[in-house]
This record gives sequence, C-alpha cells and structure tokens, in this order.
Amino acid sequence: MTVYESDLPGVGKKFEVELNDGSQLVIVIHNTGKRELFLRESPDSDSEKLFELSDRLSRQVGTIMEGAYFQPIRTETIDTVLSDETLIEWVKLTADSPLVGKTLAESEVRQRIGVSVVAVQRDDETISNPGADFAAEEGDILVVIGGQDACREFQRYVTAEPTTDE
Amino acid sequence: MAAMELWQVGALFIGIAMAGVIATRVDLSVIPLYVVVGMLVGPNVLGRYAPEFAIPNTDVVTILAEIGIVLLLFFLGLEFSLDRLMEAKRRITGAGLLDLGINFPVGVGLGLLFGWSLLESVLLGGIVYISSSAVITKSLIDLGWIANRESEPMLGTLVFEDLFIAVYLAVVAALVGGSGGLESAAVDVGIAVTFLGLLLAGVRFGGPLFERLFDADTSELFVLRVLAVAVFVAGVALAIGVSEAVAAFFVGMGFSSTDHVERIERLMTPVRDVFAAVFFFYIGLGTDPLLVATTVGILAIAVVATTPTKILSGFYSGRIYDLDDRRSLRVGFGMVTRGEFSLIIATVAATGNGPVMTQVIPAFAVGYVLVMSILGTVLMQYSGVFEGMLERRRSETMS
Repeated sequence: MTVYESDLPGVGKKFEVELNDGSQLVIVIHNTGKRELFLRESPDSDSEKLFELSDRLSRQVGTIMEGAYFQPIRTETIDTVLSDETLIEWVKLTADSPLVGKTLAESEVRQRIGVSVVAVQRDDETISNPGADFAAEEGDILVVIGGQDACREFQRYVTAEPTTDE
Repeated sequence: MAAMELWQVGALFIGIAMAGVIATRVDLSVIPLYVVVGMLVGPNVLGRYAPEFAIPNTDVVTILAEIGIVLLLFFLGLEFSLDRLMEAKRRITGAGLLDLGINFPVGVGLGLLFGWSLLESVLLGGIVYISSSAVITKSLIDLGWIANRESEPMLGTLVFEDLFIAVYLAVVAALVGGSGGLESAAVDVGIAVTFLGLLLAGVRFGGPLFERLFDADTSELFVLRVLAVAVFVAGVALAIGVSEAVAAFFVGMGFSSTDHVERIERLMTPVRDVFAAVFFFYIGLGTDPLLVATTVGILAIAVVATTPTKILSGFYSGRIYDLDDRRSLRVGFGMVTRGEFSLIIATVAATGNGPVMTQVIPAFAVGYVLVMSILGTVLMQYSGVFEGMLERRRSETMS
C-alpha cells in the first residue's frame, strides 16, 4: 500500500491511498477539521466524493476501522476479551440473585466457579478490588474476570437460571 | 461625517449577510456580491435618493475594513512556509514564473497603451496578474477538484503569487506614498525594507518567543493576543509609511513555524471572515457605479486581453505538473478569477495622486473583479463543456 501525502495551502492536507484494485482513496483533511473522502477509479479519472465527516466523527470512525473502538454500554451481558480464553464481564445483580446480602467470602464465587470480582459499581461509585468481607447488594454491577466458561457459569448463577444444560 | 450610529453598523452587517444569502442562492462567490451590495446601499446609489438611509463611508468602516486587509494577509503569511516552497521548488517556481511572466507584462502593457504613467501601469499589472486565492480555493472545494491533480498547480501558483504580492505591495506602497521625487521614493523604500527586515528577523528568531507568548489557556485570551499582535504591528507599519498588508503577512509568517498554526486557523478564521467581508463591502461603499461605467472601455479591453492569458499560463502550468490536456485546461480556467488582492492593490492606488490613481484605477478594479470573479467561477463550473470540445477536437485530428 502506498500513501501519498501533500499539502493543500490554505485548505489542509491531502492523502492518496492506493487500493488493491487500482483505484485510489483520497482523504482531504481541512484545516477546520472536516474530512472529505473521495474515490478515484483510476489515476486518470476524476475524484468522486463519497462523504464528509466532522473532526470528531472521523476520529471515531477511524478507531472503528482500526479495530480498537468499543463503546462500553452498561447492560448485563457485555464482555471484553483479554485473550482467547479470558474475559472481563459486567454482571448486574437483580433482587433474586443468590449473591445479594452475602459477602464475597460467603458466596465463594472464586473457589466454586473460578471468577474473581475485580470491581463493583454501586450507583456512581466504583469499588475496585473489593475485599472478602464486601457484601453485595441489589443493583450492584460486578466486574468479574475469568475463563469463558467460568464467566458463563457465573452469569447463570447470578441471574439464578437453573443450570440444566450441562 | 466620521460619526456613525450603531444602527448603521447593524445595517452594514445586514447588507453583508444578505449579500451572502444571495450569493449562495445564485451559486456565485460571495466577494463580488459584498462589493455590489456595498455599492448599492452606499452614498453613491442609495445616498442619491434617500441619504438618510444610506450607509455612510466613515472612519469606522475604514478601520474595520483595514483590520480585514490585515487579517487576509496575516492568514496568507500563516499558510506560507518557505519549507513548502522549497519542497516543490522546481514546479512551483516554474508555474509561478510562467504565470508572472505572461500576465504581469500584459497588465503593464495595457496601462502604457492607455497612456498611463509607468507606476500606474505597474499597478494595473498587479491588478490583472494576481488571482484570487479566496475564491479559487473555495471553488476548488465546492467542485470537488481539491482531490484531483489539477489542484496542485493551482494552489502552488497561488503560493507563488502570494509571495510575489507581499514584495510587490511593499514596493508599490512605498512608491505611491512617496512625494514623487526619485530620492524620496528611495528613502521610503529604504524605510520599508528596514522595517520589513526587522520583522523578518522577528520571524526568523522569534519562534520560541511566539511559542511562549501565545500559550494561552483559553480561546478568548488566545484570539485576543493574536489579533492584538497582528493589528498592532500592521498599524505601526502603516504609521511609518509601510504597507500594513505586508507587515501583517510577515507577522503571519512568524506564526507559521509555531505549534499554534492549527489553533489560529480554527479560532481566527471566523474573525477574518467577518472583517474581510467588511473590507469588500467597504470597497463597494466607496465605488460610484457611474465612475465604473466610465471605465467600461478599458474594462472591456482588459477582460478580453487578460482572460486568455491566464488560461494560457494556467494550461502550461498544468503541463509543468505533467497533467493531460483536460486537466491543464481546468488549471487555466481556474486561475481566471481575480479578487481580494486586486482590490487591495486598488486601495493602495487610491492613496496616490492624480485622477488615474485616485479614481480610475479603484473604479476599474471593482468592475474588473466583478467581471473576472463571475467569469472565472462560471468557467470552472462549466469546464466540462470545454473539456468535451477538447476531446472531440483531439479525436478528430487523431482519426
């Protein structure tokens, strides 16, 4: 892949990226922060404007294309992959969860299931590295780290689903 | 006459805003529209029929317009870096010299043909030589040509023109402002050169100082400091008889090597646009359409003579950049537009003596910029038609 960079005096900068099929992607970064994207079918043809993005939006799109972007949405089932096997998972405790009212020592999640509670989010507060005497309450979001299977197991246990499938 | 009421300043901005709306509607560049609206609501048109509603051409407007000139040239300096010129030295200087060598002498020659003095002819040479960076850059973006290869010779030539105009303005401002004698003119040029030398030293060695001075926390403080330095230095220059525009250009160049360039461009562009709009409006205010009408003869000659020369020089500039016929033709069409700098040269002329400098050249410049900015933008918009003709002619000669 070859990228040509050139200055556009009074406008900004231009980047020409050669694509595999012989066409060129042209990115114009304006001094104002606006980005314009053009596609050029062949080196001789005119540039067709694809779209334009604001500075902020193009940075977000850029990180998505880089594969590095994710948006942590607070649901009960998002997880982040650390390696092929290990996950970080966010789990919200409902009223009927067997963990509510127990300390971490009493519920023995690490010993029985194999996940460690690395943080707890309670309302606006984040308790990192809670001790064995930490008592869970309804509405707490537990951040746990563990193997893929263990995390799945923990999820079922906390949401009090019957573990019948295994 | 110097008094101006607040509502009149408000009316001035309403006029400018309306010109902007009209320009967008009819798909033309804003600069000629600002001038036309200024002319219509000024003392020469509205003033004749309803003087109580006309916007007076007072000191207040002059000062605002001068800040406009200062900021226009300040931005030019900001964009201008010697490194960039050096990078593409061969092509930019090739295209730039071609442009200068063809178009400037045509203007001077026309002036001499009209029976003007050498200095007046040199002013005309500048007016017809210098293309409009503002209008051309905007058209390039609007048409999407900015991503095409033809944008490079166009922007490169504009950079060369900008450098030339800075030197040119310094010299002609000293010559026009001088009391006439060759000796006093030499003294004036000497003062200008010394002052600009000092500024240049500031540009060369002041980088770290600028860097610290403008390290402001808030946008407010930052904008104020930039505006303060640019306007003050330019004002001092004007006070000692050096072109304020050139001084502002050097101040801009002083900033171009600092890390503040991006912030200046982001925060100062709207400030520049407001004052630059007032400048074009002010040009209109001072223009009597009847006076423009008396220049219609030389105007017609100048348009007929200088449109093909720009197309020609642009076409061969494209060749220097190894472009094909079609794209080279676009470069030629693109360079036809004249605008802000021709008007700045006209304001320099207006400070001189004699009817040609004080009346004919300013009136001519307004008419010329109106025609050339409209003609240039239209040529760019409809270049496809001419490109098609070019293709057909070539395929006929081939077969």
